[in-house]
Amino acid sequence: MSSVPVSAYLTLALILFCIGLYGALTKRNTVIVLISVELMLNAVNINLVAFSKYGMIPSITGQVFALFAMAVAAAEAAVGLAILIALYRNRKTVNIDEINSMKN
Amino acid sequence: MNEFFLSILVFSPLVGILVLALLPKTQESNIKFVGFLATLPALVLSLFAFFQHLGGGNIDQYDVKVNWIHFGDFAEMGLFKIDYELGLNGFSLILIVLTAVLSTLAAIASIHIKKEWKGYFMLFLLLEIGMLGVFAAQNLILFFIFFEITMIPMFFLIGKWGYFEKEKAAYSYLIYNGLGSAILLIVIMVLFARTGTSNIEALAKIMAMEDPATVSPFSDSLKMGLMIALLIAFGVKLPIFPLHTWMLRVHVQAPPSIVMLHSGVLLKIGAFGLIRFGMGIFPEQFESLAVLIVILGVVNLLYGAFLAFLQEDFKMVLAYSSISHMGIVLMGVGALNEAGIQGAIFQVVSHGLISALLFFLVGVFYERFHTSTIANLGGMAKGMPLTAGFLLAGAMASLGLPGMSGFVSEFMAFLGLFEEMPILAAIGCIGIIMTAVYLLRATLGITYGKAHREFAGVTDLKAAEFVPVLVLTALIVLIGVYPSVLSEPLQATLETIMLGLGG
Amino acid sequence: MENAWIIPLFPLFSFLFLLLFGKKMKETSAYIGIFFTLAAFIYSLVVLFDRFNHPTFKAEANWLSIGDVQLTAGFEVNQLNALMLVIVSLVSFLVHTYSKGYMHGDDRFHIFYAYLGLFTFAMLGLVLSPNLLQTYIFWELVGVGSFLLIGFYFYKEEAKAAAKKAFIMTRIGDVGLLIGMILLFWQVGSFEYDEIFLAVENGAVSAGMITLTAILIFIGAVGKSGQFPLHTWLPDAMEGPTPVSALIHAATMVAAGVYLVAALFPLFTASKTALLTIAVVGAITAIFAASIGLVQTDIKRVLAYSTVSQLGYMMLALGSAGYVAGVFHLMTHAFFKALLFLAAGSVIHAVHTQNIEEMGGLWKKLRLTGPLFLIGTLAISGVPLFSGFFSKDEILIAAWAHGNTALFWLAVVAAFFTAFYMFRLFFMVFTGEARSKMKNVHESPAMMTFPMIVLGILAVVAGYVNTPWFGTFLGDWLVEGNAALGHGHIEGPAWIMIVATIVSLLGIFLAWLMYGKRTLSRDWLSSRAPYTYKLLYNKYYMDELYGVTVVKATKFFSVFLSYIEAFIVEGLVKTVAGIVQGFGKIGSKIQNGQIQTYGTFAFVGLAVLIVIYALTGGYLK
Repeated sequence: MSSVPVSAYLTLALILFCIGLYGALTKRNTVIVLISVELMLNAVNINLVAFSKYGMIPSITGQVFALFAMAVAAAEAAVGLAILIALYRNRKTVNIDEINSMKN
Repeated sequence: MNEFFLSILVFSPLVGILVLALLPKTQESNIKFVGFLATLPALVLSLFAFFQHLGGGNIDQYDVKVNWIHFGDFAEMGLFKIDYELGLNGFSLILIVLTAVLSTLAAIASIHIKKEWKGYFMLFLLLEIGMLGVFAAQNLILFFIFFEITMIPMFFLIGKWGYFEKEKAAYSYLIYNGLGSAILLIVIMVLFARTGTSNIEALAKIMAMEDPATVSPFSDSLKMGLMIALLIAFGVKLPIFPLHTWMLRVHVQAPPSIVMLHSGVLLKIGAFGLIRFGMGIFPEQFESLAVLIVILGVVNLLYGAFLAFLQEDFKMVLAYSSISHMGIVLMGVGALNEAGIQGAIFQVVSHGLISALLFFLVGVFYERFHTSTIANLGGMAKGMPLTAGFLLAGAMASLGLPGMSGFVSEFMAFLGLFEEMPILAAIGCIGIIMTAVYLLRATLGITYGKAHREFAGVTDLKAAEFVPVLVLTALIVLIGVYPSVLSEPLQATLETIMLGLGG
Repeated sequence: MENAWIIPLFPLFSFLFLLLFGKKMKETSAYIGIFFTLAAFIYSLVVLFDRFNHPTFKAEANWLSIGDVQLTAGFEVNQLNALMLVIVSLVSFLVHTYSKGYMHGDDRFHIFYAYLGLFTFAMLGLVLSPNLLQTYIFWELVGVGSFLLIGFYFYKEEAKAAAKKAFIMTRIGDVGLLIGMILLFWQVGSFEYDEIFLAVENGAVSAGMITLTAILIFIGAVGKSGQFPLHTWLPDAMEGPTPVSALIHAATMVAAGVYLVAALFPLFTASKTALLTIAVVGAITAIFAASIGLVQTDIKRVLAYSTVSQLGYMMLALGSAGYVAGVFHLMTHAFFKALLFLAAGSVIHAVHTQNIEEMGGLWKKLRLTGPLFLIGTLAISGVPLFSGFFSKDEILIAAWAHGNTALFWLAVVAAFFTAFYMFRLFFMVFTGEARSKMKNVHESPAMMTFPMIVLGILAVVAGYVNTPWFGTFLGDWLVEGNAALGHGHIEGPAWIMIVATIVSLLGIFLAWLMYGKRTLSRDWLSSRAPYTYKLLYNKYYMDELYGVTVVKATKFFSVFLSYIEAFIVEGLVKTVAGIVQGFGKIGSKIQNGQIQTYGTFAFVGLAVLIVIYALTGGYLK
């Protein structure tokens, strides 16, 4: 059976993850950072789905888990944006450089 | 009863800590009395064990072993277990007796403490638990735990009850010893991870095997690395030049009662560790490092002696003298024969007693004159003949006068070293002369000569101060006149060590 | 004889007793000391007479075991030991008695007696020792006794310095002894004298080793016996009370070096080099100290230099294989020198000065001290019929017979010097006109004169135990049963005795001309050869020499090390601390509150760990 090999999925996931990581660690705008985190989560989802089909012991658990992850990610995005709005109201900014209250 | 004996011995000061916790902190005399009483059970029990052993009693009967921590399924194979195991051999028994005696005397010397007695004595007793445990521990991890227990109370005791630069001294104590114990921890963990055991005797057996079936392999260079790491870790404690500067600060800044314990017992943990672990677990590596160790010893001896000659403060003289005397321990250990090792062990005990005596006397006159500078104290024999007399006796013991313990230890260390490395030993002999020079310069500067200050109205030794001085002097003379009292219990330990060294 | 070990315990008990209870007893404590030393003396006499009829007795017990090696402690009564026991206990007893008068009124009277007891204990223990280790132990204890007594007037800066100097100088010698003793131990396997002699005899020790150890041990004797170049402490030790000078720095302790060489004599005779070293050092010391003695003005210092010089004589005798001569002179010297010191003490007691320039005309006032001092002076000058004459004669014969011609003539010159400066002392103190300052001069109490009389008698008759005319009893007895010690008496040409007599009489005559009759000017030497005079007066600048060499070097080295400590060691510490602090600073920079930075470092750390894991396969080798 000729099909797309598992390494292709993994490479895609890796690229997606790296882009997400890069975005999460470098972007100034908090909204972009949140979007980047979503990218990383999706990279994980791709891995889960890929292994559930082509893994050593194929099992549906992986796909179920991916669904869970999506649900949680949606919730997390909602909470994250809510915090962001609260922050914006206080600070009048979404620039991540200025949010360093952990320092002191 | 026997299986609880050692645990009771080691943890008996805990009772004192609990009682102290319940006392209001303003009752000065009660607190001091409880603190003193709490050191007594350990003293009585250790003396009991000592005399029983002298009378031919078996020393193994008190060994105790209880399962404590284990990791995963290996425990069924007897691997990766940490047991609570305490035990005695001749060497550790002697050091436990030394610790107990000095703790009691230091508790008496603590009458000079001026503030926050409650906290002081609680830490003091915790320190005693740590010291007793270090010598009784039968595996490396337990040893390390007790080793750390000594460090924390010591830090606070120096930092809070010391003199002018007490914080600095306390920090430099903590940093050096922290580094030392970090290195020690690495050694212990590597040994534990590779062999699956941390029991000292088991380790010694495994290392002695030609091709030991360890969990993972040991190369010779790794063993050598571990030995050097041990040398550094205990070298900080001993201390070995150039790792000694923290000890000078501690000796000068800490209250005299604490210095008695520090110089008398804590420094000796370094020597104990070198002999017990260095020599016991890595005999071959120790042998190949012997020349280095002896050279370090000679350097220590001469370096300390020459610098002590320059010091203006009597406490500094004693601090450098400690460095110098620890050099003799290293020389004896490095000789790798019975005479040398026995000399080193004798020196450990003897220096413990002598420096405790001298620092106690420092406390006595510091209390009265608020100075320990030699130039400010001249002619003390006029007003305080007893103090001056004992000071002179202590100095004589320290410079190795026959009939006192210092001589026996120095003599044996040199006897051993002359067989193996006569040239280095002969160089070391300069140290014998220099010891006399700097000690006489300092003590005669204090006691003899024209009176430099008004001594009228100053009381000589009080009754409470007289007891420790007399006990210490008596012990020093006892060991000097009848050294068999120490050498008898040591024979079995020495034989084991010599067996390990292949001699 | 089996219970000879009790002898040292008498004074030890006196020491402990007086230390504990002396304070309340005040001056009655003298009787305790006198009683116990008398007991020791009587018992020593018993032992000596016992030894005449019985062989050497030796008993030992285990003291300390090191592995398989057993170190023993015990005692041995041989001829030399028995003789020394009597000398030491007798002089000690007499000094104890004398001090009752001399130290009268001192605050620390009982301490003085306690120290005397300690010293006597150590000295008696020393002469009973059957092995080198025990000898060393008591050797050091003797040193401490001497140290304490020199520094008895601790509030005087001079006494403090002298005590310190005595201890350190002798310790330098002691280290030589210690090294020699340990080296010998590893060759022989024992500290026992018998075993050492046996090993030397059997050739178990190489010749080089014998020479080395013998010379090292001799260094110990050099320190203790005030031989050149370690002699400078002995004149300074005169800061101690005069009875102490008589006991320790004339009769007993300083003779311990001679005793040590005598006790180890078979070891020394096994090495020609060692013997020659001893003889040369002895002869140099004899002439060197005698020449200094010529110009000193302090009564006790003159006597001190004469002690150094006489000890040199004894060493010369031993180095010339004259075992008997050395020990014989040790005995006679103990008596007449103790007498001289006690008499000097009596003079000082009467006039309260030690400067002989300020004395004079005391012969009429000190009716007893004067003649006794004269007896001592005659004996030390080697005037015939006095004890010193016979023993000095033996030494000269030994030196001649052994072929040390140059050393022999040195000794003869030294004998001339001795006669001269001793009579210079005598004439300056006892003849001439009395000084105005000396008003209330009176003779010492009986407590002080009695010991002097006893010693005076001995200073005359002690020589007759070993004379070429009536028999050499002492010599024959000393070497009995031990061939290694040489002959009881060495035959020498008769002219030696005549030369010795002439030389000493010449010295006395010259002294009489200069200081008695004053036909010759006193300033003869200082005006003719001012530089020589100055050199002698300043003791050849030995103290100054040590001051600018050894002491300076030690100080310099110490300061050098203190710079190492301050800059290199502390610098190292600072560097390490700086590095740690630098890391801390970097760490705190990273800690900027930016979650993104934290994330970055966490990720980098993870990546590094994974790389390490991948490269090593999970194990650090």
